[in-house]
Amino acid sequence: MAPILSMIVLIPLIFAALALLTKTKEQARAIALTGTVIVLLLTVYMYFNFDSTIAANQFEELVEWVPSLGITYHLGVDGIAMPLILLNAIVLPLLVLFTWNDDRKSPNKFYALILATEGAVIGVFTALDFFLFYIFWELTLIPLFFMVSIWGGPNKHHASIKFFIYTHVASLVMLLGIFGLYFAAWDMTGTPTLDIPTLISQFQFIESGIAKDLIFLALLFGFIVKIPSFPFHSWLPDAYTEAPTAGSVLFVMLKIGGYGLFKVMLPMLPFTASPNMMISIMAVLGSVSILYGAFLALSQKDLKRMVAYSSVSHMGYVTLGAAGLVSLSVSGAMFQQFSHGLIMSVMFMSCGIINNATGTRIINDLGGLAQKMPKLAVIMVLIFMASLGLPGLSGFIAEVSVLAGSFVNLPVYVMIALLAIVITAAYHLWALQRAMFGVYNERLGTVTDISTYQTFSMGVIAILVLYFGLNPSPVLDMMLTNSEHIISLMAAMGV
Amino acid sequence: MIPIALYLALAAIIFSIGLYGLMTQRSGIRILMCVELMLNAANINLVAFSSYHHDLTGQVFALFSIALAACEAAIGFAILLALYRMKDTISLDHINILRW
Amino acid sequence: MAVENYAFLIPLLPALAFVLTFFLGKKLPKGGAIIPIVAITISFVISLLITLNLLANPEEVINQSYSWFAILNIGILVDPLAAVMLTMVSLVSLLIHIYSVGYMSHDKSPSRYFAETALFTASMLGLVLSDNILQLFVCWELVGVCSYLLIGFWYEKPSAATAAKKAFLTTRVGDVMFLAGIIILFSDLFKIFNGTIPDGIYILRFDEIFAHIPDIAAMNANIFGMEVSHITLITLLFFGGAIGKSGQFPLHVWLPDAMEGPTTVSALIHAATMVTAGVYLVARTFPMFIAAPDSLMVVAYVGAFTAIFAATMGIVMNDLKRVLAYSTISQLGYMMLGLGVGAAIGAEAVGISLFHLINHAFFKALLFLCAGSVIHAVGTHDMRQLGGVAKVMPITAATMVAASLALAGIGIPGTSIGTSGFFSKDAIIENAYLFGDTTGAWIPYALSIVAALLTSLYIFRLLFMTFYGKPRTDYGGHESPGSMTVPLSILALFALFFGGLTSKTFNTFVSETFVNNFVNLNIHELASIGGYHLASHGGHHEPMLILWMPLIVALVGFLIAFLIYGLKIVNMDSLVSRNNPIYKLLYNRYYQNAIFTDFFSVKVIYEGFAFAGRAIERGFDWIVNWLSNLTLEAGESLRQFQTGVVQNYATVVITGVSLLVILIKVVMEVI
Repeated sequence: MAPILSMIVLIPLIFAALALLTKTKEQARAIALTGTVIVLLLTVYMYFNFDSTIAANQFEELVEWVPSLGITYHLGVDGIAMPLILLNAIVLPLLVLFTWNDDRKSPNKFYALILATEGAVIGVFTALDFFLFYIFWELTLIPLFFMVSIWGGPNKHHASIKFFIYTHVASLVMLLGIFGLYFAAWDMTGTPTLDIPTLISQFQFIESGIAKDLIFLALLFGFIVKIPSFPFHSWLPDAYTEAPTAGSVLFVMLKIGGYGLFKVMLPMLPFTASPNMMISIMAVLGSVSILYGAFLALSQKDLKRMVAYSSVSHMGYVTLGAAGLVSLSVSGAMFQQFSHGLIMSVMFMSCGIINNATGTRIINDLGGLAQKMPKLAVIMVLIFMASLGLPGLSGFIAEVSVLAGSFVNLPVYVMIALLAIVITAAYHLWALQRAMFGVYNERLGTVTDISTYQTFSMGVIAILVLYFGLNPSPVLDMMLTNSEHIISLMAAMGV
Repeated sequence: MIPIALYLALAAIIFSIGLYGLMTQRSGIRILMCVELMLNAANINLVAFSSYHHDLTGQVFALFSIALAACEAAIGFAILLALYRMKDTISLDHINILRW
Repeated sequence: MAVENYAFLIPLLPALAFVLTFFLGKKLPKGGAIIPIVAITISFVISLLITLNLLANPEEVINQSYSWFAILNIGILVDPLAAVMLTMVSLVSLLIHIYSVGYMSHDKSPSRYFAETALFTASMLGLVLSDNILQLFVCWELVGVCSYLLIGFWYEKPSAATAAKKAFLTTRVGDVMFLAGIIILFSDLFKIFNGTIPDGIYILRFDEIFAHIPDIAAMNANIFGMEVSHITLITLLFFGGAIGKSGQFPLHVWLPDAMEGPTTVSALIHAATMVTAGVYLVARTFPMFIAAPDSLMVVAYVGAFTAIFAATMGIVMNDLKRVLAYSTISQLGYMMLGLGVGAAIGAEAVGISLFHLINHAFFKALLFLCAGSVIHAVGTHDMRQLGGVAKVMPITAATMVAASLALAGIGIPGTSIGTSGFFSKDAIIENAYLFGDTTGAWIPYALSIVAALLTSLYIFRLLFMTFYGKPRTDYGGHESPGSMTVPLSILALFALFFGGLTSKTFNTFVSETFVNNFVNLNIHELASIGGYHLASHGGHHEPMLILWMPLIVALVGFLIAFLIYGLKIVNMDSLVSRNNPIYKLLYNRYYQNAIFTDFFSVKVIYEGFAFAGRAIERGFDWIVNWLSNLTLEAGESLRQFQTGVVQNYATVVITGVSLLVILIKVVMEVI
């Protein structure tokens, strides 16, 4: 069998190099589209050959790399990674189409960075060796940094450096955690290995409780900052807001923090010296993120910044659901990552369109856009409703699973999160009402509706949001398999 | 046969002279010459040990080292020449562009 | 019978009509109105056939479940309760759609209107059909979002956009409570099953929930030092949802503002597709309510208070539609009261309350459509500018009178002569009396009697001000076209005669929903869990005066209205003034707008909490920036060591190497 995982990781990187060599916008975007579509096709092929009834890693590739240090080239996907790869593979070609007619400086670099991000992010999702994992993890930073600092808004330098250093510090702490785990395991077994499944399974045999807690907390910190969760979220509003539209969408695709939480943290959680404390930490961070993000979103004047804060609020469900430790809540949290990726990409595309068309994103300066942009209005209403958790759309499935599942173990935190639901509805509707409805603000000048390419890419994602809201099983089933597997491990330990 | 200690002493003396020059001289050319001295002190050591152990490897290394020293001198003088054209001086006190 | 295989089409056809109308409506004449009309007609026919079949064969309840995701399911359940609701909703919605063809003929985007109303109807039908609480919630929210879209139909009007937002947010407060109830219920059932749910069992299905009521009742929660049974907690949270959706005090504030949409939308919201959802929810989960100590009491008190509270505001409003809006709130209060008094009479309360719901749907739809007809013709809904409309629009006036008689509840007790509203409202008031008799709580009864007086007063005031006397301004006007008057006439027939014809059958039919049906519950046993004592059956013998009381107060109300607004024996201007504190209080709607909207939501939530959030956010940014500045400053001071002179570096290197050599030497010797 062809090494399909290596292909979906390397093809974007190769096409990124090709795109860099092109001279014109036309060539660059054609290469970008080709690369992303190939990845999409391979991913779809992989999806249909994926067995969603088993929790094990599939399509595994294992090659020795540096035996003396235990480094291997080990790739594989399970039910946690597969939906996220699918998410990236679906959204990226649509993102290329969305930017099809944009005019910007050095389009070759622009499309090269989009492709590089795709390769790096998928690399994180497929890596089963901490060495590879960390390489791809850090590789995601670089294209996004340039994305913000080259094509960003007026405050781009501050935002890009803040994002880079903040998340890089977190990555280094995570690296310390990885080293701790690596050397502790090396000490015990006498053979070095950086293989993720092996190291996770050896974690429980570490004798020192303090060492275990420190390793766990270091890794947790790395992931939590990337999610991001309150109180480590302050890089996000700046980075998301200053990034160009495509950059914001790429940020949204960056679901590596939550992925680490499910893939690495949860299987280790029951074996820490004080699992209850760890659960409480995650639950507090999750529920406070939900509420705090909602309040901050409510108080924003800038549409894009509001969307950025709503992202903090939504990602709180991921942390809370992971802490819920019931298969429904854990799979709900995984589904939230998937659904949030779809919803937020359209939200940011809408912000970008409004900004391009009117020259402003300040909500109070807009008004009555629905009359001039009816197509955008339909998509925006649908996607705002999805974002505020309307049933029938994908956000609801995730939120209700997280809330109902987590309530079994964490009733108080769920009640905190519930308070946010009305606030969430409030800021979405407030923004819609001010920006889209009411009397058209004549000072905005002449505004035209969205182009065919933009309608297509936003429409396809909107339809997917609706589809997965009505029938979540195609991705939820594999998430359920994996979360049940995690929970059964815990039950076996009596946690 | 001359005892090895004498060779080593000679090398140590040359090395120290070179070191002293390196730390006290201002002129770039002199410093470069001092560096050459120190390198050659090391070469003497290599050759001395080589003959002491009856192993030719040391001499081979000394040859490599001399070749490298030649290259280094060529590059070093080229740099100094470029510096002189730019700054009209080769006094290292005035050339602190390594800062920053 | 084969018709049960098509039950799933009832909500699906209108939903399909939504999609078709949305994409194709613009190209069709009249905005593609024909698509939803045909779809809803078929839904109505299927519902009617199922209802008739159920009447003949009560055991043929339809219940089909399919797995949705995880351990949750979707499914349809058509028992008597659902069947009558389905039939009513599809019928009223159908009539309103037909009426809308004429009413919306001058609008610029009728296709959007018909698409959204079709979805509205589909959601409501889906809600009624649900066989599990989560699906009910899903449709419940869809109903909410459709109302948002329709109230804000003329979105270019800022007031419409604001009203839509207000409606959605206010009901959302209730929805969150409802969701919290579902979540608690889920986790309770999850624990009852010990976390392992067998295949094929969907724990949020109604039969599953009802089967575990005693277990849930046995669980207690400690809330701020109070021991509360979980069943009480859950039912109160459900009722919180119903308060929001059904416009009960204190979440009724959105309903009067919902007038900003087209009048036909108001008719839909008030009669068929939205506000009745809350009452339906309480009726659907009635077995839980009756097993919950004090929950039904809360329902009864809130219902009775809402009935009178809204009626007092109804008598001072000058806007035709606003009077009707407050009337709806008041009547919904009656329905809640009807369910609340179930603490005394058991499952029969469901039948009585549902009966009022159905009757109300007919006459309230009629009232709104009449009002719409008037507004369509004369172009204003300020009653002070109207008067004498009866001469210009005789059919509208006649049907309006029929609806008003039904609303006021005119009829002769002890016989089957009377308008629809008479049978259902009197039954509720009588049961409120019985409730007082059994429990000693007389307040709901007293409130409901006074509210009946006020009801009659405000509706006849409306009639006299609008249709009687001479025109106060020159408004012109004409009778509405046939597509509008035909639905009016049909609804008028229902408003006048439906109650009298079906009263007995209806009550027994619906009351048996929870007994001898898809679930067979022992209501007495459940009531004993809740600590209620049901009055024995057949013992309903109220004194004569009690039977006649509602009629008497209704006539008194009529008389007052006639004297003041018909004969004008009192000069209204002396009462209606800024100096009259009671009038001012009522006209300003008890200042709830100022309290809820201006103070609570804007000042406290928006300005207070959001401001605090911004302050905290600045704090976090300050910490991050402080850390980065610290690093920069540390670098700045360390930079002094970098002189840039090569010789300095060489000196340091040589010193370092020398020290290292000495160190190694020393260490080696020590070892």
